[in-house]
Amino acid sequence: MEGLTIVYLAYTFIAFYFLFIYVLTYIQNRKNIYEIIKPKREYSVSIIVPCYNEAESIGRNIQALLASNYKGLKKIIVVDDCSTDNSYEIIKGYAKKFSKVMALKTPKNTGCAAGAKNYGAKFVKTELIGFSDADSFPGVNSISNMVGFFNDTKMGAVTSRVLVSNRDNTLSRIQSIEYKIIAFTRKLLGFLDSIYVTNGPLSIYSKKAFDDVEGFDEKNLTEDIEITWHFVSKGWKVQMAVPSKVYTIVPDNIKAWFKQRIRWNVGGLQTLSKYRKKYLQTGMLGLFIMPFFAFSWILGLVGLFLLLYRFTQYLMVKFLITKYSIASQVALVQMNQFNLNPSILFFFGIVLFTLGFTYTLIALSYSKEKEFGRHPLRDIFIYSLFYLLMYPPLLIISFFKFAKGKHEW
Amino acid sequence: MSGKMLKSRKNVFWEALIITIAIFMMGLFLGILIETSNSNKIGDLFTQSEISLVDGMAILKLSEESNISCEVLKEQNINFANKIYEEAKLLEEYETSGKLTDGMKLLHKKYDLLRTLLWMSNQESLERCSNYNLIVYLYSYNSEETNTKATQNVWGKMLLDIKENRNDILLLPIAADQNLTSLDILLSEYEIESIPAVVINNKDILYELENKDSVETHLP
Repeated sequence: MEGLTIVYLAYTFIAFYFLFIYVLTYIQNRKNIYEIIKPKREYSVSIIVPCYNEAESIGRNIQALLASNYKGLKKIIVVDDCSTDNSYEIIKGYAKKFSKVMALKTPKNTGCAAGAKNYGAKFVKTELIGFSDADSFPGVNSISNMVGFFNDTKMGAVTSRVLVSNRDNTLSRIQSIEYKIIAFTRKLLGFLDSIYVTNGPLSIYSKKAFDDVEGFDEKNLTEDIEITWHFVSKGWKVQMAVPSKVYTIVPDNIKAWFKQRIRWNVGGLQTLSKYRKKYLQTGMLGLFIMPFFAFSWILGLVGLFLLLYRFTQYLMVKFLITKYSIASQVALVQMNQFNLNPSILFFFGIVLFTLGFTYTLIALSYSKEKEFGRHPLRDIFIYSLFYLLMYPPLLIISFFKFAKGKHEW
Repeated sequence: MSGKMLKSRKNVFWEALIITIAIFMMGLFLGILIETSNSNKIGDLFTQSEISLVDGMAILKLSEESNISCEVLKEQNINFANKIYEEAKLLEEYETSGKLTDGMKLLHKKYDLLRTLLWMSNQESLERCSNYNLIVYLYSYNSEETNTKATQNVWGKMLLDIKENRNDILLLPIAADQNLTSLDILLSEYEIESIPAVVINNKDILYELENKDSVETHLP
C-alpha cells in the first residue's frame, strides 16, 4: 500500500470517528436538545456589555436586554472602552432613562473586550454574571431559559445559541448556516461535557466560578474560549441552552471575515498552548476537548496539504501534457483515458461527504427560524463544498501569526 | 445529570470507535474483494494470452520448417498484440483504482514479461517477413516525475493514434523498469540510454518526443 493511501485512510478514519461521536450523541440525546430547566429560585443576574465604537448597535443591544422577561436581571452594566464615536453618550442616555442600566467607562482603552469585561465585573454584586457583545441582541426569554442550569451548584457557565442577524449577501447567509451548525454541534458537545467555548454574544457564569478563574485572560484574543477551558480545568460544568437565542451581526465582507477568523484561530492556539500541560490528563478537557481541538487542526491541515499536493501535481502534469501534445500534434484527450473504476478511497470520500452533508441538514432542521425561513439549497452546497475549504488556509496563516507572536485585536 | 446519562456519555466514545472500525473494516474488505475479483479477471485473461503466445511461438517454429506464409505470421502477431493491448488497458484501469492490494502490480510485471517474449519472437519473424512494422514502446512504470509522466502520456496517445490509422503496426508497450532480467539484457543489447524510448522495427530508437508525421517517416 502506498504511503499516501495510508495517510488518506488514517485521515478518513479520524474524520469518520468524530462524525460518529456526533451522530451517536445526537441519537441518544435528540429529545433533550431543546431542554429548559426550571430554576429552583430566582437567581440574581447582572449582564455586562463591553463596548468599543459600537454606536450603531449598542442601543439595540441595551433595548434587547431591557426587554428580557427574566425578573432576576438586576443590572445591565455597559462598559465603554474609551470609544472614539458617541457610544458613551448613547449608553449614558439609557442609564439616565432606566435605573437598571449602569454606564461605565474604563480609565483608558484596554485594547480588548476582556479588559472591558473584567472592568465591568468589579461592579457586579449578583450571584450570576452574564456577558453580551454590543453587536448582539438576546431574545426576550434568552436569559430566563439559561438560569435553570445553575440549579446545579457545580455549573460554572451556560452559553446560548448564536444566530446571524444580517443576511444581506452570500457571505453573511453562509455564515448564518455555519452558526447553526456550530450551535448544534456545541449542544451535542454539551452532552459530552465538552463545550469548549462560551460565546461572547450571550453567556452567563456563576459569579463564584468567575472569581475562581479570576476573570478573563486579557492577553488572549479569544477570552471566551480561554475562560471556558479554565472553568473545565477547575472542574466547573459548562452547558448550553439551545432555546436561548441571540442574534449577532457577522462580517459581511471577506476582509472583515478574514480578520475575525484569524483572531479566533490565533486565540485558539494561544489557549491550546496555555493549557498544553493538561493534554491527555484526566477530565474532558485533557481527554477530549484538547485532542478534539488539536485533531481538528491536524485534519484541516493534512487535508489541505493532500489536496494541494494532488491538485498541483495534477495541474503540472496536465499543463505539460497539453504543451507536449500541441507540439507533437496529438489530440489532447482520448476516450480511452477515462477511468470508470473509481477506487475504494473515492467511495470512502463519497460516504464521508454524504454523512457530513446529512449532518448539516439535520443541524439546520433543528434551527428553524420563523423570522428568516429556509436556507436555499445553493447556500448549503456553497457552505459544504467551498466555504469549509477556506478554513485550512486560515489555520496556516493563524499558525504563522501565532508563532511570530502577533497577538493583536 | 443522572448516573445513566453519565454512563451513556462515556460509552459514546467506545461505541463510535467500534462503529468506525466496523465500517472501515467493511469498506476495506469490500475494497479488497473488488480488487481481488479484478485481479482474478486479469489473471484469467493472462492465462489465455500465455496460451496464445506459446501458440504463436509454435507457429513461428513451424514456419521455419514448412511453408507458412508471412501473411499468416503477420496476422497472428498483430492480433495477439492487439489482444494483450486491450487487456493492458483494462489492467491499467483496475490498477489505477486498486489501492489496497499489490496483485495488479504483479500481473503488470507478468504482462511485461509476456510482451518481452513477444518482442523477442518478433525479432526473428520481422527479419524473415518485412510485411509489418514493430513498435516497442519502453516506458517507466515507477517514475513519479511530472515531466516523465507527461511525456509518456503523449507518447502513448501518439503511438496508439498511429497504430489505429494503419493495419500493419504491432505495438508493444513494455514497462522497462520492472527488474526483468531478460528485458534488461535486451535493453542493453539495443543500447537503450534512457526511458521513455521507442524502438521501431528493431532499428531506429527515438528518445525525444517528435510530431506524429516525423515518427511515421520511420515506418516503411
